[in-house]
Amino acid sequence: MNEFIAPTVEYAELSPLLIVLGAAVVGVTLEAFLPRRGRHRIQVVFTLVALVAALLATGWVAAGLDEVEGASGRGLIAAEGAIAVDGPSVFMWGVLLVFSIISVMLFAERRIEGGVSAFAGQAAALPGTEAEREASRQGIEHTEVFPLVLFAIGGMLLFPASNDLLTMFIALEVLSLPLYLLCGLARRRRLISQEAAMKYFLLGAFSSAFFVYGIALVYGYAGSFTLADIHAAVDNNTGSTNLLLAGMGLIAVGLLFKVSAAPFHAWTPDVYQGAPTPVTGFMAACTKLAAFGALLRVFYVAFGGAQWDWRPMIWVVAALTMAIGAVVALTQSDIKRMLAYSSIAHAGFLLVGFAGAYGGDGITSLQSVLFYLAAYGFSTIGAFAVVMLVRDPGGEATHLSRWAGLGKTSPLVAGVFAFFMLAFAGIPLTSGFTSKWTVFSAAWAGGAWPLVLLAVGMSAVAAYFYVRVIVLMFFSDPVVDGPTVSVPSLFTSSALVVAVVATVVLGILPGPVLDLAQQAGAFVR
Amino acid sequence: MTPELVVFWLLSVLTVASAVMVVSTPHVVHAALWLVVTLGAVAGCFLVLTAEFVAWVQVLIYVGAVVVLLLFALMLTRSPASTTGATSRNRPVAAFAGFSTFGVLAVVLTSGFRGIVLDLDSQPDQLGGAAPPERIGDTRSVGEAIFTHWVLAFEVLSVILLAALIGAIVVSGRVRDRDRQEAAAGGGS
Amino acid sequence: MDLDLYVPILAIGVLGAAFAFFSLAASWLSGPRRYNRARLDSYECGIEPTPQPIGGGRFQVKYFITAMLFIVFDIEIIFLYPFAVAFDSLGWFGLIEMGLFILTLVAAFAYVWRRGGLEWD
Repeated sequence: MNEFIAPTVEYAELSPLLIVLGAAVVGVTLEAFLPRRGRHRIQVVFTLVALVAALLATGWVAAGLDEVEGASGRGLIAAEGAIAVDGPSVFMWGVLLVFSIISVMLFAERRIEGGVSAFAGQAAALPGTEAEREASRQGIEHTEVFPLVLFAIGGMLLFPASNDLLTMFIALEVLSLPLYLLCGLARRRRLISQEAAMKYFLLGAFSSAFFVYGIALVYGYAGSFTLADIHAAVDNNTGSTNLLLAGMGLIAVGLLFKVSAAPFHAWTPDVYQGAPTPVTGFMAACTKLAAFGALLRVFYVAFGGAQWDWRPMIWVVAALTMAIGAVVALTQSDIKRMLAYSSIAHAGFLLVGFAGAYGGDGITSLQSVLFYLAAYGFSTIGAFAVVMLVRDPGGEATHLSRWAGLGKTSPLVAGVFAFFMLAFAGIPLTSGFTSKWTVFSAAWAGGAWPLVLLAVGMSAVAAYFYVRVIVLMFFSDPVVDGPTVSVPSLFTSSALVVAVVATVVLGILPGPVLDLAQQAGAFVR
Repeated sequence: MTPELVVFWLLSVLTVASAVMVVSTPHVVHAALWLVVTLGAVAGCFLVLTAEFVAWVQVLIYVGAVVVLLLFALMLTRSPASTTGATSRNRPVAAFAGFSTFGVLAVVLTSGFRGIVLDLDSQPDQLGGAAPPERIGDTRSVGEAIFTHWVLAFEVLSVILLAALIGAIVVSGRVRDRDRQEAAAGGGS
Repeated sequence: MDLDLYVPILAIGVLGAAFAFFSLAASWLSGPRRYNRARLDSYECGIEPTPQPIGGGRFQVKYFITAMLFIVFDIEIIFLYPFAVAFDSLGWFGLIEMGLFILTLVAAFAYVWRRGGLEWD
């Protein structure tokens, strides 16, 4: 029998992840033992402190990354090969944590609901029953959302940094499970919220099954879960190509589901509409970032040698996703559904970048996609934060017709929303323009010019419905007894300010963040 | 034909036959019980394939826990006596989906693994470097692999279980009396 | 791996199945067939059967918590098993990691307990 050697775990380099997951467990304990009064405040402060600490730790890790000999990237493979702490990972960790801090601030908002959060008082109560009314009368609320969102964030940190498929699968489950739950906790419109949670859960479980079957087939092909070993197996062409192709396809299904690419997008509008709006913003920014990070890592690192097999598939999916997202968004009358289709269209633009060059002198696909995700995340969280503010007596006024003339009654809020719409449309001087520019140029450099032409056309279609909202807000008459704009607490207003400032700065002065994305370099094997 | 091969074939036939029963019986509770047979036979297959630990996981988690949860889910949503609902008009579509999945997987797996023989006596270890070759698949080598190569994944797994339990309480729980009293005493906090 | 270890287990399984089959066959062959109310009632170990709850025998949701608790601790035990088998070689590192794993689940347990998930009212 050989001697057992304790594994080395690089605790310092993994500290952001460990802080977030540890804080989540402590959060559950707080939830168990704190009295109900004051629990909300303590949970908010604790969650934010943990996230800021993780962000600082990320900065410290980023400063200490070493060059890898004989490769272009910086970083190391930590925890016995389970995690790659490299430039892209650390960049995504930083951006994810910033998004998470903003999202948690939206989660913490209580003023616009009149002293309670946007989450159900008692999720188990039947909608419309006395039990539910009593729970909301007494101001009961689920403060479990804070530990749950920390779990999801922990999974999202792990997901794009996983260096083997098994860790990646576990990370996928850690990030998904709390999200399924959070989707079902909206305070208003309980039924569609529950429907969203159910739909997301069932389809998500289904896609996870595809993912794990793909992992099994790829393991059969390469004899290893580790991305570097799979890469070597692909290069040496060791096993049966059928196994590799089927495995790659199934893994792609699982990941494309999470980024809500067509034809795996069917859940997106329902879930985005039904989930509590802060959760929707969080999902749109953070899940997309984490899932794209994982998609890029698996396909560039593990399957890079087989790119002529998967590239046509990505082309088709990208084209389909852009077209469905942009065209179907035209017909939407609910603002949250419209933003959901917009997020599908943006997933398509990101896939165009993914199909581009991943080496070479200019900005690579990876770097452009990272920049796009950072820019898009700020705008999308901001846009959903505005949706939180525009309210009818029964909750958020999400029907598009209710937003008519908002520019005349509340010019500031309407102006901010219009600005985010312009950013989504990719108008110059917003972050949307610079990010689209980088992604499309990376794709062009990679020879994906037909896809870029299609993407530009679809951007024009998408711009039509973004501008339509602006026209509706500023150039039509206000509806009689239209929605009121709530005055939010410091949480939402500062989150909105951050989102607006980031969208402006990334549009006018994209240099520093673009440099940061470029310094992130390449994946380390 | 070695005795192992005979047992494996018998178990395979049992797996497939009971799986067909799972999808063809009109009574949902019977379907769940047939699932026990299917999963148990799969556990037997794992055992014959020398994956001893996986076989016991299959018995404890799938036959033990998952089927129980499945039965509970059935009884939470409908009366156990009801026989309707296990059939629907989608049956031909479902059958088509099932058969085409079977076809694709059969082609992929047989073309991928045909003729591959794992020599258990000289196979280099693939579980992460801890186990000598004579112990592939047994519980000790799995234990050592979990605590070396997969230690991070193992710890993160506990977090999934924790989140699942919180989810169960949030989705099904009632506000406790203690919370109610506090709420009545203090109003909104 | 040596499958001979499993021959006794297989034998016990066959014996158990044979016994069950024999009992059923024997009672079918020798027993009288009188279908009265007591015969058709649910069998609950000889005590009076609990009446069916309203709503056609749907379970209450508290059973769901029980099932979830069972699954979570079942999975914990699954990990304790290889840990215990390899315990002598894993040393302090294994003990600490297992302790962390269990500590996380204790947090879950504490939460369930404080939320009243263990009460059966």
